[in-house]
Amino acid sequence: MALLKIKGLTKRFGGLTALSELNLEVVEGSIHGLIGPNGAGKTTVLNVVTGFSPPTAGIVTFHEQDITGKRPHEVARLGLVRTFQQATLFHSFTVLVNVIVGCHLHSQIGFLEALLNTPSHQRKERAIQEKCLGILKFLGLEGQAQELAANLPHGHQRALGLAIALASEPRLLLLDEPVTGMNPEETARMMELIQRVRQIGVTILLVEHDMKAVMGLCDSITVLNFGRKIAEGSPQEVREDPVVIEAYLGTGGHAA
Amino acid sequence: MGEFGRGIWEGLRLIFGGDAEVWRIVLLSLWVSGMALLFSMLSGIPLGAWIALSRFPGRRLLIAMVYTGMGLPPVVVGLFVYLMLSRSGPAGILGWLFTPWAMMLAQAIIAFPLVMGLTLSAVKGINPRLRPQLVSLGATPRQATLTLLKEARMGVIVAVIAGMGGIISEVGAVMMVGGNIEGHTRVMTTAIVLETRQGQYSHAIALSFILLSIAFVLNLALLRLQGRSLD
Repeated sequence: MALLKIKGLTKRFGGLTALSELNLEVVEGSIHGLIGPNGAGKTTVLNVVTGFSPPTAGIVTFHEQDITGKRPHEVARLGLVRTFQQATLFHSFTVLVNVIVGCHLHSQIGFLEALLNTPSHQRKERAIQEKCLGILKFLGLEGQAQELAANLPHGHQRALGLAIALASEPRLLLLDEPVTGMNPEETARMMELIQRVRQIGVTILLVEHDMKAVMGLCDSITVLNFGRKIAEGSPQEVREDPVVIEAYLGTGGHAA
Repeated sequence: MGEFGRGIWEGLRLIFGGDAEVWRIVLLSLWVSGMALLFSMLSGIPLGAWIALSRFPGRRLLIAMVYTGMGLPPVVVGLFVYLMLSRSGPAGILGWLFTPWAMMLAQAIIAFPLVMGLTLSAVKGINPRLRPQLVSLGATPRQATLTLLKEARMGVIVAVIAGMGGIISEVGAVMMVGGNIEGHTRVMTTAIVLETRQGQYSHAIALSFILLSIAFVLNLALLRLQGRSLD
């Protein structure tokens, strides 16, 4: 079943057409790749789907619900959560508190309750802390829980970004270049984490430049060029598609 | 040195001896500056955060004005408030001149740009990508702003410290609009000026000692807050 459906999505900026009549379906439980040369429109897809930028035309449905034109936080609360290219963290907080902040955006803790620190509030806080520690453990960060986020090595910071996203209990994670700028060792680790996230039932839409990561992770791949879909299929099919090879060679890139 | 030592001794005696006049002066200082600071925090922190996070025409000009306001000379504020509140002034009907209310108003005007300006620069210094990420995690605009203020808390606390420092030790404005009336509008700073003029050095030193101690304790309390983590 398709969790996310994009139909006839078009986005124009003035005279420039960034996306043209895009159709895309992300199957529940899968890892779906979205690739293409620079300027192909990948980030525009993310911006439109998550409500940061209204589409010129087209419909986006998530879990059978029309989410076109909804505001970013409304989309997120439905379970469609996006992470950004650069790890964006609270540098002045510890790793654990970073995840707790992510949790708090969804917890039903009233202001007065927090101020008075009632027993029910303490109970909820303890439950949140347990949950966040669980997430850190799941991603292999439990040893760093009490460290300041600013002091983490780069690879761990990106993993923490993933942990914060998981704290908001997504059904679909939109990962924007999760391994870009990583060394091979960090990349391999992140790929393993993404696999692990999928195994707990989170569907993933992956935008990435690193072909090895995309080919290794994805069940299916959509290729964009100049705002249009030029190919779609399994990694094997996409890798051998002459149109895709040409699009990448034409801009000096390389497909696999 | 003898004068100084006597002053400190006198200060301790006045505080712990329960001298009613000294206590009245100290409490009035705290009441006036505390209320002024509270008001400037309630208005300056949200406004500073808002200016830092939004984009509108004239924003640069507004920021330049706020930063200029951080250096307002207290006597100029005193003069302005005096003219506003004097019997023939636009707010003369309130009858606030030479009351603690006038002093609070003047001090709030001094502290407001300090708190707003330093909050503004603290929030502006946060990673600009943090807000979209928070919204993508499901934060409402209000939640996102509050969370950003938490990340900027070090700077916001510095803003509050600066606002407090700017008014608890301020003498020009409270003198002009309060009038240093004994038992009514006399605060620590104006009392120090008066005692010094009258040659009552030990009294002046005692009050200075109390003023410094209060500032020190307040700063310690605020810094403790800064050091505490969210949980």
